[in-house]
Amino acid sequence: MSTTRIEVRDLVIRYGDTTAVNGVSFTVGRGEHVTLLGPSGCGKTTTLRSIAGLEQPVAGSITIDGQAMYDAKARRNVPAEQRGVSMVFQSYAVWPHMTVFDNVAYGLRVRRQGAAEIKAAVERALDLVQMRHLADRPASKLSGGQQQRVALARAVAFSPTVVLFDEPLSNLDAKLRAEMRVELRELQRRLDITSVYVTHDQEEALAISDRVIVMNVGVIEQIGTPEQIYNRPRSRFVADFVGSANLVKGRYAGDGRFETEGGVALQAVAGHAPHGGETEVAIRTAYIDLEPRAGENQVPGTVRQRLFHGDFVQYVIDSPLGALIVRRPPVDLLDEGAAVTLSFSAEHCVLLER
Amino acid sequence: MTLASGAAVQRRRNWQAIVTVALLLVVGFLVVLPMVFLVEASLNVGDPLAFPPEAYGLKNYFAIFDEDINVLWNTLVIAVMATVMAILIGFTLAWILTRTNVPGRALLERLMELPYYMTPLVGALAWAVLAGPRSGFVNQLWKGMGFSGDIADIYTHFGIAWVMALFEGTVAFVMISASMKSMDPALEESARVMGASKLRTMLTVTLPLVMPGVLGATLFVFAEMLGSFAAALVIGIPARIYVITTAIWDSTLSYPPDYGRASAMGLALFVVMFGMLTFYRHMIVGGSFATITGKAFRPRPMDMGRMAWVLFAVCCLYVFLAVILPVAALLLTSLQRFATVILSQAEFTWANYQTALSLGPVRTAMANSLMLGFGVATVGVIVMAVLVWIIYRSTLRGRGAIEYLVMFPGAVPRLVFGLALLWAWLNIPIPIYGTLWLLALAYFTVMLPLGVRTLAGVVLQIDKSLEECARVCGAGWGYQMRTVTLPLLKPGILAAWLLIFMACVRELGASVFLMGPNAKVIAPSIVSAFASSGTELTAAMALIQTFTVIVALVILFRVTRGVTRELS
Repeated sequence: MSTTRIEVRDLVIRYGDTTAVNGVSFTVGRGEHVTLLGPSGCGKTTTLRSIAGLEQPVAGSITIDGQAMYDAKARRNVPAEQRGVSMVFQSYAVWPHMTVFDNVAYGLRVRRQGAAEIKAAVERALDLVQMRHLADRPASKLSGGQQQRVALARAVAFSPTVVLFDEPLSNLDAKLRAEMRVELRELQRRLDITSVYVTHDQEEALAISDRVIVMNVGVIEQIGTPEQIYNRPRSRFVADFVGSANLVKGRYAGDGRFETEGGVALQAVAGHAPHGGETEVAIRTAYIDLEPRAGENQVPGTVRQRLFHGDFVQYVIDSPLGALIVRRPPVDLLDEGAAVTLSFSAEHCVLLER
Repeated sequence: MTLASGAAVQRRRNWQAIVTVALLLVVGFLVVLPMVFLVEASLNVGDPLAFPPEAYGLKNYFAIFDEDINVLWNTLVIAVMATVMAILIGFTLAWILTRTNVPGRALLERLMELPYYMTPLVGALAWAVLAGPRSGFVNQLWKGMGFSGDIADIYTHFGIAWVMALFEGTVAFVMISASMKSMDPALEESARVMGASKLRTMLTVTLPLVMPGVLGATLFVFAEMLGSFAAALVIGIPARIYVITTAIWDSTLSYPPDYGRASAMGLALFVVMFGMLTFYRHMIVGGSFATITGKAFRPRPMDMGRMAWVLFAVCCLYVFLAVILPVAALLLTSLQRFATVILSQAEFTWANYQTALSLGPVRTAMANSLMLGFGVATVGVIVMAVLVWIIYRSTLRGRGAIEYLVMFPGAVPRLVFGLALLWAWLNIPIPIYGTLWLLALAYFTVMLPLGVRTLAGVVLQIDKSLEECARVCGAGWGYQMRTVTLPLLKPGILAAWLLIFMACVRELGASVFLMGPNAKVIAPSIVSAFASSGTELTAAMALIQTFTVIVALVILFRVTRGVTRELS
């Protein structure tokens, strides 16, 4: 039995003259949680909606459990209702003219299940999101967070194998969002579902995914585990969009050596086999120490500015590499004007492919 | 399997193309064809009854500026006076209800809608009863108090403009208050913070920002006034003051009817109105006015202190003049043998209502209007719901063209459209002229913009993902329609039904041309009763019509309140 649940190949989607998705390919394994991450307009939502059958691509193919759902060559496009996937919408799409129970029961009723089974399944789903006590409430009388839970319960109630999430947390306030993130991860583990999740929030993407697909202007920039994406960004876009990084320009001198424009030689690593034409390295702001550490890249600098953020302190440091941003734990604060030595290992000085 | 679904995609595309073409043809036939006939008639300089015309020329157009120059002058004078008054009313009410802490604001806002539902026809009749020379109630009281002569005379340019302004004022109010509501109060507040006084803020920030909205409303109202018919018909014709709409009507009454002349005037009116409305839309959509963002703000109302009660009285005065006084006057008239306001001389009777309800022609006219209302509203709502779904929810190619066609009748003065339909159906070899079928067809066509706009408002409010979610949950198209789309649309469909029903029962402009001796409807019958029988009987008929509309209106308010509650 294949371990691939969803396979997307060379997908192209156009709206009139604009190409929203331009040749995207990836696979999602059984029980895997993959996130499409990118800025608005990068084609992530369009890709997700085409998996659901809500957008019609112009080229490529989409296969779920070995069955072609869309295939441009075979002119095959299975309608949304026959694909057997489930989806949580950004606007929740909780039907205001039904009760919470009716909303959650919808997918089960479509599948003509018995009343007793429906009741049991709905209650199980509502228990998962702690909403059972509100089953009889009209859906129009729910708060945003409650609607979100109903949408979640509805999406899993009919035991789908694949659930698609379209920025489900973006309409919640920051605190609730953080809580729901934890619950969502918990739910994914418990239900053994395969999910594709879309978000523009890099923190959310890193926190809840097994693998992250970073997209930009209709193409995939990088696919990898959250750690790979964070520690070995492949491109300037990924380094910049995911987490915070200092980008330093220069020239790759071969053999793990990178010469900056300011003439400083750094030890660097690459996630790819270097081709010699690289012109930039990325250094994560969290990986720079302000005390000399033996065996690492060391650069002298002066504290220009200190911003106290609470959970961390952000320094702007003037150095031969340019003005670098450094984030440290909020202890042993340095004053503005203090002389420091920037230290970071070669592991954390990542050569960018382009 | 693969081949089969490939063929299915192809089949669906073909099917969609057929639907589009069929719709374009049917709507085009209903909407565009009459206008083509009208253009042809206007260029006819031979025998006015011949079809196709024997000779073409521009004589009919020149005649407007030659023989009917006084008609143009009357139209202009009355439209300008009426527009100025309507905008004054609208601006004052809008400012009071959006910018001040007037007591009972929510209730007042609801009351401001009432004049819109009172027909201008009923309003004109009532004001003829109130302010007619000698026998008018105002003048009776004036004499009763020992003065001589008349204090008020409605049969003047100003009188016609007054009635028109009173009923268009509420339209101006809605438009101006929309632009006031959409203004970010932070724009004013920042002026205050910078040190500007209340007055300076008003002059340098508020007024310039609201001005485009007021100008837009002025343009729109002026265009409406040029095409307005009812008041000019009821008050203008006895006073021998003809405006362009009544002149069009009049030239079809002469023998032989001068359709060429009428068509030329109608087209000229249409072109002017169409130009103004296009310019107006361009102003609104052009985005040059950033205040109209579509985002609703809750402006902090100014504290008016004791003045608030004065402003409250101003709002009440408007409702009194536009609704309460006219209805009271008609009621009083309809219940007497001879209308008088000096109650000691009054002879009260139910006879007028008995006559109105037993008189054969009146009864059939009323029954016909109700039947048309039910029929057109029921069939119309179904067809329009399909149109709305195609225009705003499908991916059908050519849906923009369908939308344009469907909205087109809204840009043609009702009367001109009636004339166009008359000429078209006199010459199309389908014998429905003079029957209720033609009236039904005409009502459906002229109600298209109203119905489609109402339904579209509801459809666009419904988030698309509500439907998509049903599909993803496994529901087919039919099941999704039955369980999600239609239940959500239900209140909107009901509201559209009631609005179309009301509009049919009060329809005048198209009906006057299309009514036949065996297919009479109520509004034109009221007008002819006013011209031939007594005011008392006319008042009774007008009130019966108004009562029908009020019943529909009460249901509408019930329903729409339900809509807002459900969707909020």
